[in-house]
Amino acid sequence: MVALVIVSTFVVLMLGILVAGLLRSHADILRALHDLGAGVGDPSTAPAAAAPVTFTPPVPGLGTASELGIAPAIAGITPTGDARAVAVDNSDDFTLLGFLSSGCTGCAAFWDALQDPGRLALPDRTRVVIVTKGPDREIPAEVQAKATGRVPVVMSTEAWLDYQVPGSPFFVLVDGATGRKVGQGVASQVGQLTELVRRAEHDRGHAGGSRGRGEASLAGPAREAAADDILAAAGIHPGDPSLYPQTLDDVFPHRNPVPAE
Amino acid sequence: MATIGAHGITARLPQGFEGRIFVRPASVGVTYPVGQFATFPIPDDIGDFGSGAVTLMGPSDVFSTLFEYGHESVGTALFAQQGRPDALLESDFSPITLRRGIPGQSGTQWFFTESGRPFAFYAVLGSHSQRAALVPHVNTLLSSLVLSPAVSDVPATRPQWN
Repeated sequence: MVALVIVSTFVVLMLGILVAGLLRSHADILRALHDLGAGVGDPSTAPAAAAPVTFTPPVPGLGTASELGIAPAIAGITPTGDARAVAVDNSDDFTLLGFLSSGCTGCAAFWDALQDPGRLALPDRTRVVIVTKGPDREIPAEVQAKATGRVPVVMSTEAWLDYQVPGSPFFVLVDGATGRKVGQGVASQVGQLTELVRRAEHDRGHAGGSRGRGEASLAGPAREAAADDILAAAGIHPGDPSLYPQTLDDVFPHRNPVPAE
Repeated sequence: MATIGAHGITARLPQGFEGRIFVRPASVGVTYPVGQFATFPIPDDIGDFGSGAVTLMGPSDVFSTLFEYGHESVGTALFAQQGRPDALLESDFSPITLRRGIPGQSGTQWFFTESGRPFAFYAVLGSHSQRAALVPHVNTLLSSLVLSPAVSDVPATRPQWN
């Protein structure tokens, strides 16, 4: 009888130690997930994590921008059945690719934020493109219901394969000047995307505009005012005869023949 | 090199090009397919012939539009040419052939019928002085286009999984 009590006590003691170990292991896992920013609920409303950006390089501990590789073009269809191809190496701008799904709950906040530049507060000249899987994997009407038309939405399963997207949401930042990926990974909070782009912009410096392209920002009254200023600076004021050409020669005085360069 | 296709138009885009082939929603009447291709990021809210885009071009850029007209245009004098031009010449581009005259740029426009569909092809060079280097890009794009006889679009297949 005494032996039975001793054995039972020993077994209970061992089980207690086992349960305590499991609880501690579980706590370690939860703490690690918390540090990574994984939480419950709307990612956009979660408090800022201690770690500002949790983007991960493809090879932990080794990843640098140059190792992320060339970013291929995105080609597919739009939710309305049109065709769309986006080249990510044809400007000096950054392109932020958001690989989202229509059905993933973790994507909801990113659908809204990526299509609302004011909310995302990305640096100027950052292009945003949302990429879902193709119509063989997504229902176009459901994707269309989430698209506002403010940023391109391309449905392309091939792009997911090209970029080796492990799941959604997933993000890739491409430097258009080099055509290379400068960051990629998962994000749990919208603010992390802004931080990623700002860091990349800081790392690259302010060498934009080397392709000599025109400005995109002016439109409407601002554009009209800017034109008025330029004309006034050139001595051309309202009523100036040059504003009312009578013939093509007035507009293109050297049109015939075209001067050789 | 990306390939896109919709509405009976397929384009194998040369390196550095991006593009879109779309049909605008018709508020009144009927709208027809438009293809836009460029060597720079194409904004979503530009006009069919590039208004809002050509001002963004750099001197080494190219923009082009393939615009389909209504079937009633088939057989008219404007669309009498059968098939697209084989290859554009530097002399085909002129600063006065622009929808919106922008200093330094030049353009060309062609009307033709192909696969029973009437089209206009309009291209803009970012710099007329660089036409020797830019026109080959336009020709590469032009030759990559596949224009099929008009067919109704096939509805998207049901997804297998999400």
